[in-house]
Amino acid sequence: MDLSGGTLLALAPVVLLVIGLVIFCLVDLIRAPAVRYLPKPLWALIILIGSTPLGAVLYLALGRERQPSPSIPDQTDKPALRTPPEPERKPIPDRVPPADEGPVVQTTGLTRDYGGAGLFDVDVSVPRGSVYGLVGPNGAGKTTVLSIITGMRRSDRGEVRLSVPRSGIAVCPDVPEFDPWLTAYEVVDLARSLIGTPRESVSAATDSVIDALAAAGLGDVADRQVGGFSRGMTQRLGFACALVGDPELLILDEPTSALDPAGRAELLALVASMRGRRTVIFSSHILDDVQRVADQVGILRDGRLLYQGSTQALIDTHLRPRWLIRIAGDTGTVRAELERQPWVTRVEPVGLDSLRVDGESMEAGERGIPVALAVCRERLVSCEPVAADLEAAFLALTEPRDTNSDSPFHAATVHAETLHAETLHAETLHAETLHAETLHSATKDGR
Amino acid sequence: MTLTGAPRALTPRRSRPMSTWRLEWLRLTRSRRWIALVAVYLVFGLIGPVMAKYMAGLLEHVQSGITITVPPPQPKDGIVNYLSQVGQIGLIVVVAIAAGAMSFDARRGISTFLRTRATGMWALVAPRFTVNAAAAVLAYTLGLLAAWYETALLLGSLPVGAMLAGLLCESVFLVFAVAVVAASASFARSTLGTVGIALAALIVLSLVGSIGAVHDWLPSTLSGATVELLSTTQLSDYAASLLTAIAASVLLVAVAVARLGRREV
Repeated sequence: MDLSGGTLLALAPVVLLVIGLVIFCLVDLIRAPAVRYLPKPLWALIILIGSTPLGAVLYLALGRERQPSPSIPDQTDKPALRTPPEPERKPIPDRVPPADEGPVVQTTGLTRDYGGAGLFDVDVSVPRGSVYGLVGPNGAGKTTVLSIITGMRRSDRGEVRLSVPRSGIAVCPDVPEFDPWLTAYEVVDLARSLIGTPRESVSAATDSVIDALAAAGLGDVADRQVGGFSRGMTQRLGFACALVGDPELLILDEPTSALDPAGRAELLALVASMRGRRTVIFSSHILDDVQRVADQVGILRDGRLLYQGSTQALIDTHLRPRWLIRIAGDTGTVRAELERQPWVTRVEPVGLDSLRVDGESMEAGERGIPVALAVCRERLVSCEPVAADLEAAFLALTEPRDTNSDSPFHAATVHAETLHAETLHAETLHAETLHAETLHSATKDGR
Repeated sequence: MTLTGAPRALTPRRSRPMSTWRLEWLRLTRSRRWIALVAVYLVFGLIGPVMAKYMAGLLEHVQSGITITVPPPQPKDGIVNYLSQVGQIGLIVVVAIAAGAMSFDARRGISTFLRTRATGMWALVAPRFTVNAAAAVLAYTLGLLAAWYETALLLGSLPVGAMLAGLLCESVFLVFAVAVVAASASFARSTLGTVGIALAALIVLSLVGSIGAVHDWLPSTLSGATVELLSTTQLSDYAASLLTAIAASVLLVAVAVARLGRREV
């Protein structure tokens, strides 16, 4: 073979490129926390002797792990979602609409038939400035309603009227996803640029992105690539993206599903603080969340809207004169005494030391219970009215009607009370957990 | 911004403002896809002429009793070797990388993020199509320049006019291939499905190109045109193919925008 100067000059780039590529791939392989399909030593062999440099190209195409950094644990001991303190909240005049401005979203006869399932003649009306909770069992059609409102799906029939421009609507899906090689800052900045906001200065744009990240509790990880984020952090990032454009209508689909208890509470507080300043549609299967933040509620079942209106009005409808009495002694005597009272409609034991008392009216119970207890001379631990909640109302509306009970709401109400008793138990556990966490935190601080 | 009351933590590093164009640039660079793209074209660009030069010598070393007569390599053989390699492997890499960018509906979360914010489907498709087509053309050009350099050193000089005409033809074909990927993404949601449809379409087009009557009008004729341009043909012989490829690219991108815009997520 003739290896003249020209030939060597021709071969030099080939050799350099191949060696450079192989070295790059080997270094990348060593630094990579994980590789795909094959173990690292086998990839090293392929890179070195696998028909060089095709082995290196094969590794780049298939073997490299796309996750750029190890998963960042959710920082539950830090403030997750930062709610602006009330006094510092800046009023925004253009977000406080006149009362007669009409609903932000109004659907008329919205129908989307998926062969028996779907939506049927749904008339949703979301008042401006409200937090509208959309609740319903799985498959009720919540996501379909939101998808049609946001233009992601079409309806077979009906109409959607929006009184805000498309650019004024922000959506946060239940499972947000982002390109893993972007940083949190870049994701939110991309969200800002996508909605086509009027040209603003670089510093103003940067400020808005940083503010959204800080509000979502991600200010500390703004420069981290999101591929390593936990699900909770990704959900917060989705929320930051929704906030960055200062939307007039914020649509949140199950926004708390991946958050820890602290993050969930703070997000709910943040959403609640938006009432009157921007319209929020809040879809959730956690009815307690909806009750805490939503002033308007829509209940869907089997694609039909069963109720729409004030959350409080719905709860009030299901408020019944009922008390839970806890006694430090024999419940049998008290139960017998209560059953003799003319105003009492039902007495049932709950556990070993409690009684559930149904009465004809609130006033009768408030007067009669102390008297009955005094007659029995038993020690009273507690006596509280059993408040109706959204859960009870929801179950009353959505439970099947084919119950054998004389009241259509009976089964649902019993179910709701069981849940209530379980909730009381869970709250006790939660309080104990919080206490333990406080102690743990104090121990850490003192270390 | 309504949340300015929230305390800020760290100020992130100042980076250039994001846009859908920058997103595509970062997709190429951060995910290292550009390395695979450039490496394939550059490696074959550098190796092709070397193989053409020393093929006879290599065959002499491996032959056992059989006499193989290889004609002395001509300058154009360096480019022929390059094109024969990148015409298949390079095209597959281009299709795979473009499909990764175009199939944004493959993941519902990303799809929702983009679709509910973008002002229109064109705003999503245009940067993906343009950046990937430009990257493919750039990688091909780098490979061709490398092959040209090696050929000049090892085999002799090549006509500049024919080389530039060939570059034009191959570039238009690569743009057409990326447009095929864009249209394919509107028929399949997954990246793999998009790659499959696009490659199938390009293979079928290549087979149809063997029919003499339509050969001169098909975009697939542009693939490998450099070889012919170095031998017998002229750029004007490819005018029909060039026009068809450009028109088809525009049409395919329009189809992609229309179909992706109508797609439900």
